Amino acid sequence: MNKEAGINQLKRRDFLKAGLVFGAGASGLAAGYAAVPDAFARAVYAAKKEGMTNENILVMIQLAGGNDGLRTLVPLADPSLHDLRPKLAGPMVSQALPLNSQYGLNHNLGGIKGLWDKGKVAIVQGVGYSNPTFSHFESIRIWETGDPSRRQVDGWLGRTLATNYDSNGHPLTGCACGATDAPGALRDLQATLTVIQNQKTFGFTGGTEVEAAVGALYKATPGIYGALFDTAIATATETMATLRTSASTYHPMADYTDQVKLVYSSKNQLAAALQLAAELIVTGTGVKLLHVTLGGFDTHYTELNRHDDLMGYLDSAVSAFYKDLAAHNMADKVLIATWSEFGRRPKENASGGTDHGAAAPLLLIGDPVNGGLYGAEPSLTSLDNTGNLKYSVDFRSVYQEILSGHLGADAPKILGSSFDRIPFLKAPVVV
Amino acid sequence: MSLAPTHDQADSAAAKTRGITRRQALGAAVATGVGVGVVRLLGGSMQHIAAPRTGTTTDWISPLKTESARVMHLLRRTSFGHTPAQLDAALSDGFNKTIDRLIETAPAEPPTLAAANAPGGRFPIAQLQQWWIDHMFSTSTPFAERMTLFWHGHFTSDYRKAADDTFMYWQNLTWRRMAMTDLRSMLLQVTVDPAMLRYLDLATSTGQSPNENYSRELMELFTMGAGNYTESDVREGAKALAGWQVPQPDATATVVVDAKNNVTRKLPVYSGQKSGVFNPRRAYKGSVTFLGKTGQLDTQGVIDRILAQPTTAPLIANKVAQSFVTARPSPAYVKNLGDTFRRSKYDMKTLMRAIFTGPEFVADQSYRSLVKSPTEFMVHAGRALGVSSFSKLVAGHGSGMGQTLFDPPDVNGWPNNEAWISSNTVVERVNFVTAALGQVKSSLPPASDAIHRHLDGVLSPQTASLLNQAADDRARWFIALASPEFQLK
Repeated sequence: MNKEAGINQLKRRDFLKAGLVFGAGASGLAAGYAAVPDAFARAVYAAKKEGMTNENILVMIQLAGGNDGLRTLVPLADPSLHDLRPKLAGPMVSQALPLNSQYGLNHNLGGIKGLWDKGKVAIVQGVGYSNPTFSHFESIRIWETGDPSRRQVDGWLGRTLATNYDSNGHPLTGCACGATDAPGALRDLQATLTVIQNQKTFGFTGGTEVEAAVGALYKATPGIYGALFDTAIATATETMATLRTSASTYHPMADYTDQVKLVYSSKNQLAAALQLAAELIVTGTGVKLLHVTLGGFDTHYTELNRHDDLMGYLDSAVSAFYKDLAAHNMADKVLIATWSEFGRRPKENASGGTDHGAAAPLLLIGDPVNGGLYGAEPSLTSLDNTGNLKYSVDFRSVYQEILSGHLGADAPKILGSSFDRIPFLKAPVVV
Repeated sequence: MSLAPTHDQADSAAAKTRGITRRQALGAAVATGVGVGVVRLLGGSMQHIAAPRTGTTTDWISPLKTESARVMHLLRRTSFGHTPAQLDAALSDGFNKTIDRLIETAPAEPPTLAAANAPGGRFPIAQLQQWWIDHMFSTSTPFAERMTLFWHGHFTSDYRKAADDTFMYWQNLTWRRMAMTDLRSMLLQVTVDPAMLRYLDLATSTGQSPNENYSRELMELFTMGAGNYTESDVREGAKALAGWQVPQPDATATVVVDAKNNVTRKLPVYSGQKSGVFNPRRAYKGSVTFLGKTGQLDTQGVIDRILAQPTTAPLIANKVAQSFVTARPSPAYVKNLGDTFRRSKYDMKTLMRAIFTGPEFVADQSYRSLVKSPTEFMVHAGRALGVSSFSKLVAGHGSGMGQTLFDPPDVNGWPNNEAWISSNTVVERVNFVTAALGQVKSSLPPASDAIHRHLDGVLSPQTASLLNQAADDRARWFIALASPEFQLK
C-alpha cells in the first residue's frame, strides 16, 4: 500500500466515525469498536515511535461468568467458611492443596500447584473495585475497559496495542484465540487484531482463487460497516499467510488433550486456544497480546462438581501451555494472567451454588513472576452490605504492573491514572 | 468457475479528474436496476449493472424511495429474504399490505419433532437445530420464525444448561406462539418455561434460600435494564419468585446411558408439552419490598411491578429497533416507540407495526444499516439459490460465524451488527457460500436475480466490476452472495 492509499483510508476512518454516529448522537461510537483497515493502521503507525519496547508477551485468560475465588484459593483455617457454605465448604477445605497454613489451591489445580512450588505463580487476593456491579455485562465491560466509571469505550489491551506497538502491517500483534468475535479488552478503533476460532479450519475452503476474489471484493466498501468488513478480510488473509508458515514449523511439546470434557459451556475450547497461542508465540509471528476465554463459571447451582471440573480444565490447559512454552525456550517471555468479572457470594444458595459476588483472587503464572501471595486477604466476617467480600486491591493495580512491568508500556497513559504497585514480577521493566 | 479479477481498477486521482464521484456511479447502478418496477427488475442485463468506478468511500445509495426496493428491504429484515414466489407475491401486494400480512397472519406451526419424545430429552441438538432451520425454509410465515429467533436471543436459554433438549424444543414452540402477543403474558410464560427454569435456576430456588439468577436477569436483561433497580430488589424479587419447579414427568424410562460400562439411568418421559409447576411449600411466606412496594407478592405481582416501571418499554423498543431498523436508534425514536408500546399495554403487534410503518424504517440512513445474523444470511442465501434441503449445511456453519442455535454465548443472547464482523466470521461466511454453491449441482437461477432481486441493483464499484468480469453465472452467484452487500440488510 502506498502512502496515498493510507491517506484515503484515514478519511475512511473519519467516515466510519461519522457513519456510526448517525442516528445515535454522541454515543454513536460508543459501541462501535470498529477496527481500521490495515492500510490505515500502517499510516498511523508510521508516525509512531519504532516498534515495541521488549519481546515480552501477555496471555489473558478470561474465566467468564464470575469465578468463585473462595474455591480457587481456599481459606483453610477460617471457621466462618463452614457457616457460610455448609454444603460446599467441607470437601473444598479437606481436599485443597495447601500453600501455607492459611490457604490452599483447589484440589484440581495440581499442575498450577507444581508451578507454585517452583515460584512461578503469584496470586493477588481481594481484587475488585469500589461500588461493584453484580451485572455480568456491566462488570465485564469495566474489566475490559479498565474504567469503573463506564466512560471509556476502548479495551485496555486495545489501547495498549494502539499506543505501544507498531503493528506495521501484521495484525497478529493482538489475537483472540478460540473466539468468533473480538473480546472487548482487545478492541480499539486504532488497533488491528485477529480473531481465530479454530486454526484447523481458518482459511478459505475455496482456495487461492476465492481468496483473491474476496480480496478484490472487499475494498473501499461503502457504508458504516465498510471499513470493518475490509479490515476483517485483509486481516484474515494476512493471518492465513502467517499461519501457513507457522503451522509447518510448530511441533507441540505438550499434550493439550481435554481430559475433563466440559459440556456446560460453549466456550470450552481453552486447551485448543492455548495451543494456537503457543504456536503463534514459538514460531515468532510477532504476537504480543493474546486473549482466550473459558466460560461456565456462573455457578448458581450444583457448583461442587461444576467448579471442580472447570478448575481441572483450566489446570490441564495452562499446564500444557506452560510446558510447551518452556520446551520451546519461550517461557521467560510469557506472562499468563487470569481475570473474571467478579467472584461469588460467600454464602451459598439453595441450589448448591453461589450468586454473583465481588472481590476475588487473580492468578499470574510464568517465569516472569515472583511467586507468592499478594494483597490483603478478604475477611469472611466483615462483608459489605450486599454480603460480599470487600476488595483490597484495585484491579487496575494488576493491569498497571502487567503493562509497565512486563510489557514496558506507559501504564498511566493507558489506564488514565496511577495505582498502587503490586510487585508480583521478578524483574519489572519499568517501575 | 473463474473468480480472478482483471486489473483495471482506476485510481482515485483518475476518477477525480473525470469528475465522477462514487455517489454518481452508484446512482447509475440504481437507475439501471430496481426502481422502475417489477418488469424492468426482471429484465436487467449483466453488462449494465454499474459503471465500475473507484473514488472516496461514501454510503450506499438508498433505493428506498421506490416501492419494490421497500418491499425487498422489508422481506430482508422480517423474513430471511425471499424466494422468487414470495417476492412476487409481496410486490403484487405492495409494501403496506405486506406489512399487514406479516403482522396479522398467525404463525404456521412447525411439524412435530418425533425425536423430542426421547426420555430425558436425550437426542442430538443438531436434530433440533435442523428441524427449526427446515421450518425457516419451508414455512408460509417466515416472519414468525424471525420473531422466534428474536425472542430466542432475548429470553435466551442454552441446551447445555437446560440439560434436556425436549425442554428446548418446547421453548421454541412457546416462543413462536407468544411472539406477537403482549409482554405481560410473554413474561408469565417465560418465567415458568421448563428450559428457562433450568437455565436461570429458578427451578432450584426456594423462599428459604433464594437463588438470585432469574430475578436479576429478568430485570437487567429481559425488561428494565441495569441500573434501574437495586440489589435489594434482586434479592426480594428472588424471594417472591421462588417456588416454581420443572413439571413432573408422566412416566420414567430406564435408558442405557453408557453402553460400555452398562450404566443405566431412569429418565423422565412426558406425554406432551408442559410448563413449570408451582410448589407452595417451596415459596416464600412473608412480605417483600420490591420496586418500591411492600406486601405479599406472587409471580404475577412481580411482573406487574416490572411492567409499571418506565424503563421496561424503552428497553424492548430499543432492542427491536436495533434488530429491525438501525444499529443506533436515537433516544427520541426509542422514546416514541416505547410510549406507543406501553400505551398499547405492551402489545407486540402495535410495536412491530410502529416499527415497519415509521419513517425511520425506510429512511435513506436505514438502508443496509444492519448486518444479517449468520442464520439470516444463510437462510436468505439458500432461498435465493432456490434450494430447500439446506438445514444440515446451515446448522453446521453457524458456529464459525458466531451463532449456534439453542446455544447462545451467554445470557445476553447474541450480539448484533458490528459484532458479527471479525476476521473469523467473514471467512466463515465466504466458506458457507463456497459450500452452498457446491451443493447446488443443478442449474442455478439466473444471476441477474441475485443482483436485482437480492441486492436491489445497488452495488459497490468493486462488486459491480467483479460481476461484470465473471466468467459464468456460478461465479456471479458466488460474488453476489459473498459480497458485503449481501451481508447487510
